[in-house]
Amino acid sequence: MESAISSILFYVFAAAAVLCAFGVVAFRNPVSSAMNMALCFGFTAAVYFGMGAQFLGIVQLIVYAGAILVLFLFIIMMLDIKAEEHARKSFPLACIAVIIAGIFAGFVTKVAISLPGATVGECPAIVLCESIGELAPGTIAQKAETEGFAPYGSAMPELSPAAAAKALGADEATAAAATAFPDTKLLGQSLFTKYNIPFVILSFALLAGTVGAVALGRKLRKD
Amino acid sequence: MNTILQWCDSVLSNEIWFYLLTTVIKLVLIFAVILAFVVLSIWIERRVAGWIQDRPGPNRAGIPLFLFKRFGSKEKQPLKNVLHFFGIPEDCWIARLCKWLRLDGEIPTFGLMQPCLDGGKLFLKQELTPKYVRKVYFTIAPMLVLGPPMVAAAVIPFASTVNTCYGEISMCVANLGIGPLWIFAISGLSVYGLSLAGWSSNSKYPFLGGLRASAQLISYEVAMGLSIIPLLMMFGTLNLQDIVQFQADNGWTLLPFWGEGLSVQRWAMYAPIAISFVIFVTCVFAEANRTPFDMAECETDLVGGYHTEYSSMKFASFFMGEYAAMVIGSALVVTLFFGGWSIGFGADAALSAWNEWVAVLCQFLMFLIKLVAFIFFFVWVRWTLPRFRWDQVMKLGWLVFLEVAVANIFLAAAILYFIQ
Repeated sequence: MESAISSILFYVFAAAAVLCAFGVVAFRNPVSSAMNMALCFGFTAAVYFGMGAQFLGIVQLIVYAGAILVLFLFIIMMLDIKAEEHARKSFPLACIAVIIAGIFAGFVTKVAISLPGATVGECPAIVLCESIGELAPGTIAQKAETEGFAPYGSAMPELSPAAAAKALGADEATAAAATAFPDTKLLGQSLFTKYNIPFVILSFALLAGTVGAVALGRKLRKD
Repeated sequence: MNTILQWCDSVLSNEIWFYLLTTVIKLVLIFAVILAFVVLSIWIERRVAGWIQDRPGPNRAGIPLFLFKRFGSKEKQPLKNVLHFFGIPEDCWIARLCKWLRLDGEIPTFGLMQPCLDGGKLFLKQELTPKYVRKVYFTIAPMLVLGPPMVAAAVIPFASTVNTCYGEISMCVANLGIGPLWIFAISGLSVYGLSLAGWSSNSKYPFLGGLRASAQLISYEVAMGLSIIPLLMMFGTLNLQDIVQFQADNGWTLLPFWGEGLSVQRWAMYAPIAISFVIFVTCVFAEANRTPFDMAECETDLVGGYHTEYSSMKFASFFMGEYAAMVIGSALVVTLFFGGWSIGFGADAALSAWNEWVAVLCQFLMFLIKLVAFIFFFVWVRWTLPRFRWDQVMKLGWLVFLEVAVANIFLAAAILYFIQ
């Protein structure tokens, strides 16, 4: 019952997110595009919530929908909307856009395929739980907590035990253990121990971006 | 009768139905509390403003005694005339009851009728939508301001848990593991309403108001998020229900007088927590667009700010959204710093052991009392401090609060590490 509801909600939210993503491209008015993007972020966050990754979902809302997109809107509102609404068609630009989108789509597909058991069964979670079938219900969260996000030698973070338990149709004990899944704690642990170096490198990239923006802003003001 | 009871029993025994029913009841309750507090805080605002400025405040709105006056004459003692009209002696129990209810003069309402009449007035006003606005966004902007604070209320715990024979009820609509972050995220979304209102009005001053709103809300969100990190380090959890339980057992964050709160570490933590409190409360003011920080609707330089072009209930939605944000902000301050529903001094555990329902009721009342106290504080500040200048607001947010909040995190970490 619960698993059925959550998978129905998953498809509803995922479809809505894809629709809104199309809306971003289809609308001529830049503000409408930005609002569609905000809705798309919201639906993606809802998908995260459905999978039990509450922290990821809320960070998606705070960072993307609540801050970055508001700044987008801030800039867009200062543009001349009438000029933006006229269609600009350029074949080379479209070609470049298609190539970039194709590369990105391929990258995402590769990531999805390299999830544990993605090529073997229908749902990664089911295969994952069969491979650890000896484990008693409720110990998944414990095991995940002691060993970090990827305890089975995989490079990619696996699905949360909440999703795994729902996919297995597990009993209430597992579901209860899964709802108490400490995803904030796990995320912090894996970010600051296992994935610390990529995390720090990303922070430096962001810092460089910030410094660059400040430098550019200063230069403009001097002229 | 027996079959009905059996049916109720079977419905409640079903886990899903039990969960659904209790959630709907809690949802309605918290929604009613928030809406009632929006009205109540408008009343508090007017009364306290009158009190601070040494004037009576709203005192004309009252219950008209036309029923009494109709029977009697238009003299000053309508009750006496009514009694004479019916031939009732003046010292019988009916007359005494009427006197006890103070029906012999004007009924004292303490201005409580004023918010109701304000609401009625706003409903009846002409709805004027200017020709030049962008209709769709002009219409959804007020909804985007009023909606988020209502949704954000879902995670605020208003009492502890109750064990019934059908299962446990946690007195909080959604017992999420990410409580404060949920409130930050959802109430952060109200910035869309403000900036869209400013933009879609297609007029200069509202547009400036919208831009100011988005810049200010984003700036203060950063400092707000960073300021509570010392607290979260101490609590070790993000679940608001657990945070309040911790404070009930170990002393409120700002009044650690019982349990573990008497340890050296907690009192050493008092300095970073006090700094957090000052930053957090100021940021709540900025987030709720209250007066020292109401740059987005500053009359002196922006006419009315982002809601200049709005009228009737659309304007009222912005007004109510501001008060709802204030109520949620005070609820969050109470929950994080003043023990939420906790009665304090170890009384929670004793009451719960005696009777859980009584304990829950007392805790709910305690929460409401603290909430009213904080709303009073908000109003007090509004009518005491003058409005800042725009550049001062931005400077305070980015150059003072951000740095102090980051330094505060290191201070708290050092205290938690070195003082055991």
